[in-house]
Amino acid sequence: MHIPDGILDPPVCLVTGGLAAAAFGYSLYRARENLSQRMLPLTGMTASLIFAGQMVNFPLVVAPVSGHLLGGVLAAALLGPWAGSVAMAMVLFVQVALFADGGWTSLGANYLNMGIIGCWGGGAILQLTRSWFKDPVRGLIVGAVWGSWLSVLAGAALFCLEFASSTTVRGYDLRHIFFLMILFHAVIGVGEAIITSLILAFLYRLRPDLLALNPVTSSTQPTRLGSFSGAMLLLALAIAAFLSPFASSHPDGLEAVAESTKVADLSRDTWAIWWEDYKLPRFEGNWEGTGTAIVGIIGTLAVLLLTTILVRLLVRNQSAGVAPLREQA
Amino acid sequence: MNADYLDRYSRGTTVCHRWTVNRKLGLTFGVILTSLLIPVSLWPMQGVLLSLIFIAQTVAEIPLRYLLQRLAGFLPMVGIFALTLWLGQPGGRGGDFALNLLLRSTVSFMAALWLVNVTPFSELLIGLRRWGLPQYCVALLAFMYRYIFVIFDELERMRTARRARSFGRISLARDWGSRGQLLGMLFIRALSRAERIQGAMSARGWDGEVRTLPKTVTTTNS
Repeated sequence: MHIPDGILDPPVCLVTGGLAAAAFGYSLYRARENLSQRMLPLTGMTASLIFAGQMVNFPLVVAPVSGHLLGGVLAAALLGPWAGSVAMAMVLFVQVALFADGGWTSLGANYLNMGIIGCWGGGAILQLTRSWFKDPVRGLIVGAVWGSWLSVLAGAALFCLEFASSTTVRGYDLRHIFFLMILFHAVIGVGEAIITSLILAFLYRLRPDLLALNPVTSSTQPTRLGSFSGAMLLLALAIAAFLSPFASSHPDGLEAVAESTKVADLSRDTWAIWWEDYKLPRFEGNWEGTGTAIVGIIGTLAVLLLTTILVRLLVRNQSAGVAPLREQA
Repeated sequence: MNADYLDRYSRGTTVCHRWTVNRKLGLTFGVILTSLLIPVSLWPMQGVLLSLIFIAQTVAEIPLRYLLQRLAGFLPMVGIFALTLWLGQPGGRGGDFALNLLLRSTVSFMAALWLVNVTPFSELLIGLRRWGLPQYCVALLAFMYRYIFVIFDELERMRTARRARSFGRISLARDWGSRGQLLGMLFIRALSRAERIQGAMSARGWDGEVRTLPKTVTTTNS
């Protein structure tokens, strides 16, 4: 998930670094505006928690492979989108500075892909979904599942964009790698969704007061335009993930996106262009493109199913009634 | 867990350790940027860079065993990425490109690894503060660094307890559920700890300034 140094070109690093610094500055400004100094221990502790939480491996069906928490949506749920993304910046920085995990030059890109997308976009989806549900637990779980899955996918889409913008990859066929990126991240996203919703449901059962502190998870706050547009942006990025293998088969991914959006209003023309360029049965055809579209559909269905199952399981647990922590103690 | 579990070798006394933070960071960034800017056709230059870094690592007395361990974790990930890029090109071209990507990221990783193991985190924080990173961020980083170890210990205790209670294999779904609960419990414990710490800091008249001492001053006789 972390992009190491050497994958992205210096100009891309510079641009993503600038964007990340601006996003971090804005988050810091908003976090300090909204919260008093007393949030410092909580923010710092959440950052070290997410760092430590990534050490807990979740085994997969294939024995040696295991996944772990990424934590963007969780940070947003605990601290709100602003302080949450500050905490995520700390996590990523410490990972580079102490572990050499990720890269110094790609720190900005990593922060955008994981921190900002997870906290701003994932948090916005969580908040939006919560406001749609009467039952707070159900809203929390559904929001956590969709927020996590979509933010992981959107992060992958952003990586594809960053990678395609690097000048060294000009002239190379990137469809294959983008297909695999999206496929892997659709799976990673499911894991992240399960872990995040398990933790949030557990936290809600024992310490609901911790989740009530910030606008993302407190049910009293009205949804604002900002969070709505954030959620929509994230959704658009996730959808773009499934279109990236189509776009990248052009010599320049960015140009191709611009080109296809230019002709988007004449949808018949677009389809005609696509059909001409990639005849499906051809051997070196666009199977990655169709494959990705299929992954998208299956993935969305799988996440829908997952949402239902998790809500069933976790809400049933909830109503079975475990005494709050304080009463137990 | 030892307090220097994460940056074990960063408190050495070699030449590299004694350089200033500015010089070490500048050198690392220089190497990474050089590696990024070397064109594909000049790929043997990457090997030269790599051997220079290796000499620096030897001078800094970073054990070879540790380096190999970290490389073993790093190479499969980037290797698969490079392999996919190579195989994804029609007609098998793009081998040079994939190789270049692999070399570049390995050089950068080794350079970053050198930096991590010659710079104690507290020195890095002082450097960051001097370059104008907001004090709030530096305080956050210092706080986070301090409590990572506490939380790791907490996590280790909980894992031990879990292993002691659960004997034999459990189903995958059960396993995920119990790990989720483990993390949830860790969160609750840590967040209550944060509340206690906050109270204690306020009680001692904390004004928001977190002070870090360079390592030469931290020779207490407690």
